[in-house]
Amino acid sequence: MTKTYIKAIIGSLVVASFFLIRGINNNWKAPSVEILKISAIPDQNPERLNRMYKTLASELRKELKVDIKYIPVTNYPAAVTAFKTKNLDLVWFGGLTGVQARLQTPGAKALVQRDIDSRFHSVFIANKKSNLPVIKDKSGLKLLKGKRFTFGSESSTSGRLMPQHFLKEAGVLITDFKGGMPGFSGSHDATLALVESGSYEVGALNEQVWLSNLTAGKVDLTKVKVIWRTPPYFDYHWVVQSNLDSRFGDGFTKKLKNTFISFNKKSDTQKKILEMFGAEKFIPSYDYQYNDIEKIGREIGKIR
Amino acid sequence: MLSKLNLNSPIACFVPLVAVVPIIKNVSTDLHPGGLSTLYNFFSAALFPSLNEVVLKNAISGMQTTICIAFVGWIISIINGLFLGIICSNTFIKTFENPKIIQKILKGLLAIPRGIHELIWGFFLLQIYGLTPWVAVLAISIPYSSLMARVISDQVDSLNLKAIHAMKISGIDSLKVFITVLYPKLIPIIITFGGYRLECALRGATLLGVFGLGGIGTELLLSIQSLQFREVWTSLWILGIVVFSLEKLINQFQKRVAQVRSSRSYSISFIFAITLSSIISISCLNSIDIYSSIKTIPLILPPITEFIAAITSLSLIKLIYETIVMTILAAGLAIGVPPLMAILFPSKMGSNVISIIWLILRIIPAPLIALLLLLSINPSVSVAALALGLNNMGVMGKILKENIERADHSTYAAIKKIGCNESIAWLYGKLSFQTASYLAYSFYRVDVILRETAVIGIVGGIGLGWQLQESLSSFAWAEVLVVVTSFVLLTVIGELISEKLKSNLIKHSLSANISYQ
Repeated sequence: MTKTYIKAIIGSLVVASFFLIRGINNNWKAPSVEILKISAIPDQNPERLNRMYKTLASELRKELKVDIKYIPVTNYPAAVTAFKTKNLDLVWFGGLTGVQARLQTPGAKALVQRDIDSRFHSVFIANKKSNLPVIKDKSGLKLLKGKRFTFGSESSTSGRLMPQHFLKEAGVLITDFKGGMPGFSGSHDATLALVESGSYEVGALNEQVWLSNLTAGKVDLTKVKVIWRTPPYFDYHWVVQSNLDSRFGDGFTKKLKNTFISFNKKSDTQKKILEMFGAEKFIPSYDYQYNDIEKIGREIGKIR
Repeated sequence: MLSKLNLNSPIACFVPLVAVVPIIKNVSTDLHPGGLSTLYNFFSAALFPSLNEVVLKNAISGMQTTICIAFVGWIISIINGLFLGIICSNTFIKTFENPKIIQKILKGLLAIPRGIHELIWGFFLLQIYGLTPWVAVLAISIPYSSLMARVISDQVDSLNLKAIHAMKISGIDSLKVFITVLYPKLIPIIITFGGYRLECALRGATLLGVFGLGGIGTELLLSIQSLQFREVWTSLWILGIVVFSLEKLINQFQKRVAQVRSSRSYSISFIFAITLSSIISISCLNSIDIYSSIKTIPLILPPITEFIAAITSLSLIKLIYETIVMTILAAGLAIGVPPLMAILFPSKMGSNVISIIWLILRIIPAPLIALLLLLSINPSVSVAALALGLNNMGVMGKILKENIERADHSTYAAIKKIGCNESIAWLYGKLSFQTASYLAYSFYRVDVILRETAVIGIVGGIGLGWQLQESLSSFAWAEVLVVVTSFVLLTVIGELISEKLKSNLIKHSLSANISYQ
């Protein structure tokens, strides 16, 4: 009897200690000073996201002399919502999520984008067994009717919105695919893997992800090929809250923008950041550049 | 008609296996070898999880956050569930002579929180409270409170009413009667079922990692989506070790309690468990900074016209049909396979190997199972059902095994002595006594599977669950509410059917055996 209790107590203490360690390792301490909270839509693996945004946070901290914290968010709508509820100050959004976030957050503005974002592309890839030819003209997308087709994440601009838009222009509705609906693989990498395996015959993904997988030797070109590249459109950009100047001092937003734009390959850290973002440099970004995305978003029903 | 079904023969456990037929039929025609190399990479990565410092540190701190959220959410749900469950029970109504209609309404209302998956609660609450740890805690505790309430009220109603009646006739005050009769009966239920709910809470909190609370789910899902299999395995191993130790710990605790028969000792262990749990949860509250200021963000209800538009634009009938098919197939698989496996491999070795398989299936979230399956099977409802079924099979298998281990095995020994083989002895000596409680538990599992159809959109835009994700990511609130309402209605209908079936079961089994319902 006593033995039972002693065992139970020891067992419980072991469990309790786990929590106490947690208490020391506290991630959620209430901020005593203003902290600039940055985040990003999760379109890469967490280890890479962490490396990327922690390096960026420390570089911005150095340049701007304010406290900066990277808060990971793991799905697209959650990033939009956390921005809307002002839990995040500066977020790396895709085209569509950026518009969704700005529409829901009065005063929020597009700040900067990468050089590649002003001419971004998606690629349609097909499994070679599907015998689909390379498509020369947009209207050729009609060939995809009746195929097993997958998008990436529901809210992805390059993995869903723009591909769906071009399909629609070619007269292909999402109900025209085999099974009556396309799949939603959840990410660009997953789309690639699923098309390569043949479970889906065709898929659409971010060109940048396709190219980086290609350079890393992760694509089996005997199994999968690009059949079409979309026309260019605006994609990823940093979006900021409107209250940064009042919280961090006059002109802070402008300073933030200039810091991004000044990133260059002479500094080792900045070079690393640019490489991780897959960019040569950051350039200014403006709300109006996303008017088309907003229009398409409304047509497709992703913006209400 | 339903009440005439005989669910007490051990054969009844195998009826759900019917669902396996269409799944095997579809899957076998859609099977292809295209994803074998990716699958090989996935499984071989198990032996070489990433030990990169950042990955490891994130995974461990993520695990801690997940445990905290699970624990606090769990303790809240136990307390609420106990209270609500008793109020909703027929026994309570009869003891206090309250009007039945109140109980009916309350019971109906409680189906709402239950019909909505933790993830969906998480997203709703995120809209209202922003990114705070409260969101995850509440997202767990709201549906779990209601589930606990349902179990408690079923259990209370399976108790012997004669004692209550006798005491009331002798003029004792209703409240006193109620406490005297109920108290010693309820504690073991809380300890066994409650312990089991803690495991569920841990799984739920893992899935909730999706909301940027930094839990292990965050690490897991992102590394899955980017196909970083070695990083996936870092998280899976940690999760596996924690789930395994927690289950063992709970199991030990339950065994000790089961040995202690007097109600005094029950009380002592109960008070001990509650105190300890509270202390732990307070330290958790501290560590996830639950005291940080909470601001609510007003939600504006969309106008009626939008609701009408949503109802007409969504193909609700098709979505509901797909959801039901998926749920039934997955449930059949999850319920039917564990007894079959147990009967095919009755040896000690076999049963241990199977236990490990169940553990693996339990800890791998359904969306990951779906992705892995999709690498080698063309998308269809069957694949979605298979993924959900496999994940839940892990839970059902564990419950079956524990129930059987806990039971008295004299009949089994007797049957074996007369020369029957191991499988037959197992069927009639062990399974037949557990049939009723296993099936009763299965009904709760069907609920869970129904809700989990929400996380399986990868398989090709199937069902209400996918529509919910789509509407949520479009911030189309009217559609979201329509879909959620459909989920709730399905849950209520499911419960009405299972209640009919269960009233038959409870009579035969549960008054003494409190194991896992």
